[in-house]
Amino acid sequence: MNIFQLALKNISGNSFRSGVVSLCALLVAAFALSTTLLMRGAENSLRLAIGRLGADIIVVPSGSEAKMESALLMGVPARFWMPQDNVNKISGLSGVEAVSPQLYLATLTGASCCSVSDMFMIAFDPASDFTIQPWLNQAVGNDLRLGEVVGGSYIFATEGDQNIRVYGYLVTLRANLEPTGTGLDQSMFFTFNTAYDIASKSAIQAEEPLVIPPDSISAILVKVTPGTDLYAVSTQILQALPDATPILSSNMFQSYRQQMTGLLKTILVIIGITWGLSVLLIGLVFSMAANERRKELGVLRALGATRRFVFQSLLTEASLLAFLGGATGIALAVLLVYLFRKLLIVSLGFPFLLPSLPALFFQIAVGLFLALFSVNLAALFPAIKISRQDPAVAMRE
Amino acid sequence: MITLDEVSKDYPLGRGNIVTAVREVNLDITPGEFLIIVGRSGSGKTTLLNLSAGLTRPTSGNVMLDGTNLWDLSDRQQSTMRSQKIGFIFQFPSLLPTLTVFENVVLPTVFGTRQSSTQVSERARQLLQNVGLGEKLAVFPRQLSAGQQQRVVIARALMNQPEVLLADEPTSNLDEKTELEIMDLFRDLHLSMGITILMVTHTRQLVSYGTRAIEMSAGRIVNGKK
Repeated sequence: MNIFQLALKNISGNSFRSGVVSLCALLVAAFALSTTLLMRGAENSLRLAIGRLGADIIVVPSGSEAKMESALLMGVPARFWMPQDNVNKISGLSGVEAVSPQLYLATLTGASCCSVSDMFMIAFDPASDFTIQPWLNQAVGNDLRLGEVVGGSYIFATEGDQNIRVYGYLVTLRANLEPTGTGLDQSMFFTFNTAYDIASKSAIQAEEPLVIPPDSISAILVKVTPGTDLYAVSTQILQALPDATPILSSNMFQSYRQQMTGLLKTILVIIGITWGLSVLLIGLVFSMAANERRKELGVLRALGATRRFVFQSLLTEASLLAFLGGATGIALAVLLVYLFRKLLIVSLGFPFLLPSLPALFFQIAVGLFLALFSVNLAALFPAIKISRQDPAVAMRE
Repeated sequence: MITLDEVSKDYPLGRGNIVTAVREVNLDITPGEFLIIVGRSGSGKTTLLNLSAGLTRPTSGNVMLDGTNLWDLSDRQQSTMRSQKIGFIFQFPSLLPTLTVFENVVLPTVFGTRQSSTQVSERARQLLQNVGLGEKLAVFPRQLSAGQQQRVVIARALMNQPEVLLADEPTSNLDEKTELEIMDLFRDLHLSMGITILMVTHTRQLVSYGTRAIEMSAGRIVNGKK
């Protein structure tokens, strides 16, 4: 028999006390991990979405910023237009390396001519595009032809032969992008030519035609030359296009970030309170347990246990309970976040992407450490107090 | 073997008040004797026993075990000495409720033993056989009577082959028949193993079991050879 087995015997012999301590550890670990998973998942998702856009600045018509963020983040279809001539005006500005226009379109709601209702679609200009095209060349090996599309990770063909119906027009799904956890995963990408072809044929093939106003675009993606001050270019764009708004990619999704920060602060306060209360409760339980076991621990000292042994046996017990509760809490948190991630995305209105395995293991380790730290911290004072007590006093009534 | 030299022990009562449990006691316990300390409740018997084993620090005076001042030793050295040289039998139920009878008996070996694990196991079985509980290895203390529990405590006290047994009112919670059985067991141990026994009791009738007896009152030895 050793200190570990003694602690295990004691844990199994005091089920109520062990249950309370484990439950506290479970709550601390589960709450901390699920919050971290959601927050980091959202942040990760935003970062990937910005990376996927690949632009330093995105120019949209004034007043359309929120619509665009909703479209990119949550896949809520957005339609807004500005003159195509804006592309030339921006390309002539100093510090601008490349510009590429995009059209933001959407499928019809509940129409049989569209395989998916209210799907956000992005049309790009292959001649100037610097975001989709490089990925295509790398992943597919060549450009998209007329009638071919690239889908977000959730887009799949249901009608055989990789065909998807858009305004009665059958497009072929060439490839899927890696998931980002944002609205981009439910979106579809194709060239301007395909967009115009769909629009021209939609008048006879669809329940309602797809309308693209002449000489209009939805947004302009801007890439600046390396070393250029983004704010200076942004100011130039504002001066050149008074009816448009340049959004720096680093400032993208600001309203979502602010909401997330607000939510994060609230959650941190709740976690702090939960943690504090848990530590207090565990401390109280351990104090009561140590007091209740004073005689028993005094007997151990009389039988030859050192102060250190008594101290270590209490902390071993605490660590085992923390591990048991923490591991259960972590398993529950991971399972619940995984199972209900879509519900959480919808109810919280945030994008979310499950972390990579190494990141998940790191977060699990942090959660487990937090549970171990909290329970040991709570047990520390009672353990020190009882281990320093005179054995004769401990054994006295 | 154990020598108490002008030993006193005060306990604080709060608000600056103290109670002196043991006053300037001088006592020599020689190897092989069966010393019984009698006295009424509160006379300082248990405190004297605890002082003898280093379970509480004297307010003044010295406690020597085999010529070594116990309070010159570190906590680890004291613990080793207790584990190797002293066996304890307490007045209150002192078995760990979460451990079986066998596990309780081998408990002192967790803190140090000179025996191998096989020897530990064999000795525990033999000791339980000797106290008449050879069939109760796997049961828990709550499944035993008070007398049986005290027998297990005696087996546990003997586990590390101690030089001295310290027994604090070991029969106070037992009925008269069981009390005599336990006292007979102590006498057998003393006679067969030559083990030194220091026992405190408030029952004068038990004095006849010892080779020497002293009486305590108000923290002093008032009767008997010191």
